[in-house]
Amino acid sequence: MSEKRNGSGSRTVLKVEKLRIHYATPQGDVIAVSDISFNLYEGETLGLVGESGCGKSTTAYGILQLVQPPGYIVNGSIEVDGTEVLNLGEEDLRKFRWTGLSLIPQGAMNSLNPTMRVKDQIIDVIESHEGRQRDREALRERIFELFQNVGLPNRIYNMYPHELSGGMKQRVCIAMGVALHPTVVIADEATSALDVVVQRIVAQTLIKVKDEIGVSLIVIGHDMGLLAQIVDRIAVMYAGKMVEIAPVNNVYAKPLHPYTQLLIDSIPSIKERKPLKITEGITHDPRNPPSGCIFRLRCPFAWQHCAEVEPPQIMIEDLHEVACHLYDEQFAERRANALATIANS
Amino acid sequence: MGGISLNYLVRRLLVFFLTLWVAATLIFIIPRLAPGDPIAAMVARLSYQAGFVENSNAIIEGWKERFGLNDPVYVQYVRFLGGLLQGDLGYSMARFPATVTELVGRALPWTIGLVGISTVIFFVVGNLCGALLAWKRTPRLAKVVIPMSMIFTSIPPLLAGLLLSYTFAFLLGWFPQSYSYGFGMTPALNLEFILNVIHHGTLPAMAIVLVTFGYWALGMRGMMVTIEGEDYMILAQAKGLKPFYVLYRYMIRNAILPQMTALAVSIGTLVNGVVLVEVIFNYNGMGTLIVTALREQDFGLIQGTAFILITTSALAVLIIDLSYPLIDPRISLEGR
Repeated sequence: MSEKRNGSGSRTVLKVEKLRIHYATPQGDVIAVSDISFNLYEGETLGLVGESGCGKSTTAYGILQLVQPPGYIVNGSIEVDGTEVLNLGEEDLRKFRWTGLSLIPQGAMNSLNPTMRVKDQIIDVIESHEGRQRDREALRERIFELFQNVGLPNRIYNMYPHELSGGMKQRVCIAMGVALHPTVVIADEATSALDVVVQRIVAQTLIKVKDEIGVSLIVIGHDMGLLAQIVDRIAVMYAGKMVEIAPVNNVYAKPLHPYTQLLIDSIPSIKERKPLKITEGITHDPRNPPSGCIFRLRCPFAWQHCAEVEPPQIMIEDLHEVACHLYDEQFAERRANALATIANS
Repeated sequence: MGGISLNYLVRRLLVFFLTLWVAATLIFIIPRLAPGDPIAAMVARLSYQAGFVENSNAIIEGWKERFGLNDPVYVQYVRFLGGLLQGDLGYSMARFPATVTELVGRALPWTIGLVGISTVIFFVVGNLCGALLAWKRTPRLAKVVIPMSMIFTSIPPLLAGLLLSYTFAFLLGWFPQSYSYGFGMTPALNLEFILNVIHHGTLPAMAIVLVTFGYWALGMRGMMVTIEGEDYMILAQAKGLKPFYVLYRYMIRNAILPQMTALAVSIGTLVNGVVLVEVIFNYNGMGTLIVTALREQDFGLIQGTAFILITTSALAVLIIDLSYPLIDPRISLEGR
């Protein structure tokens, strides 16, 4: 792992506070994202992980103001470089998009317009934000440079999306995502449809481009192994809540939250076969989350207190926060027991 | 990139000519299976008018000989096909010595004009209405008005024609009731004549458009809703593109593709509707000609008009087929 460039002294480029997103259903609102707060620092790569349906993609789309109905943002604050995104008017939001926040989408296979040439899809984003480009030659050079950044050959300039492979399409999406040098890029499971080798290459391309252009990056994924290779910090989500956010080394070396521990434990190993532990316990109805801690129904260490009080985010060390009562100093004894149990298992 | 190879073009043209051959054969066989003798019928009509026709049997025989109806069927068939190849559709039996080519030549431009213009109008209007119905930014008022204008869709074309004719020609007198241009005018390429033709053509064209565009609007709306959920639509939104640009370059551009296919398929049905509308407005096109031919049991003319209608429909489908690579880059007609 490379040295972290982002100590807590770095500038905050994205500040998400108490973001809450619901999906309206006839039987009541499903709470997809529940009062999430986190910061993203300049030049940082943050991984957002969790099971399917835990709200990680919804969080991303919330930040991008792209939550599709019946979803809606209930409350919260999203600041990018000091601009409150949620207060932007329609035209301001349109101009802010892609220059402030850009997206590398989940389904790169279908994320390009099939009836437009690759170049036209990159040109349209440039021209919608920077006006008509009179110097076509310079525009072409600019796109070639983007291609070069992500390792695409110039010959795809005039091609249609169906003439490209999956990995190439994903690279086109990356090139498009950084075309305007946005402040923050969000990659939503950008590699999940690719095979492991291409996955790795695309992920490395992503990081290389990020470093060259100097943007901050949020990578959403469920492939913990891949994320470990590319991110600086990992934020773990469970049922719409942020349960732990920690530097990547800490998460793998000493995961604190019981859910993080189970999640790390469930990463398949190619060396040994081991049973899945996380299936124990029951999941709750997302319309009526349990009182107190969201994870208590599946947590092996839950006790009375967890049902009564919602755990606050406890700062363990620099950049490492966890939302679990075990790390409250008054329950130090329980924590010691719990850690002992883990050590024995 | 989309393109057409010579190989594909040749294959597609072969299919086109095969269609015409099959059509010609059916057209040749079917009237010969139908009961009734056209020449006897004609002579009977003459004798009905004149009271008595001398040597009627001799006349019938003479005409049969003249039209070659005494030859074996295969000789007639070969002669028929040979004539078609030379553009000779034979004589009209009821209006001898007028040739079918002559009659069709006079009627066909009017029908092509009427069908062509109404097709362009209903396709453009229908798809635009459908697109607006699905678009999130369409004003609420438009979303109420457009479906209301589609009530005519469930009316058969001839009824719509009658309604329009009664209202706008008979009651209000805004448009002429029949014919494709004013009596006493000679067809010429001047403004007066063109305006006159438009004046005469408005009601028939409206009859076709009114009953048709709703289908296209509904189809388009469905396609637009499907496109709305595509991944590239979310990306288009995230890219901060201008809404109107997203509408036509991302949504309509993709939603229109299946509509083009549907248009090719519907051309045959469209011609049916046009025949009836033409008859109602006594429009001097192919529809009126075909109905006259049927009424007079004019075999030569029936064969000729049917063949020409099939040829033009097949040609239209051929053109749409060959233009696919232009509208959808994913379709390539290059042979492999």
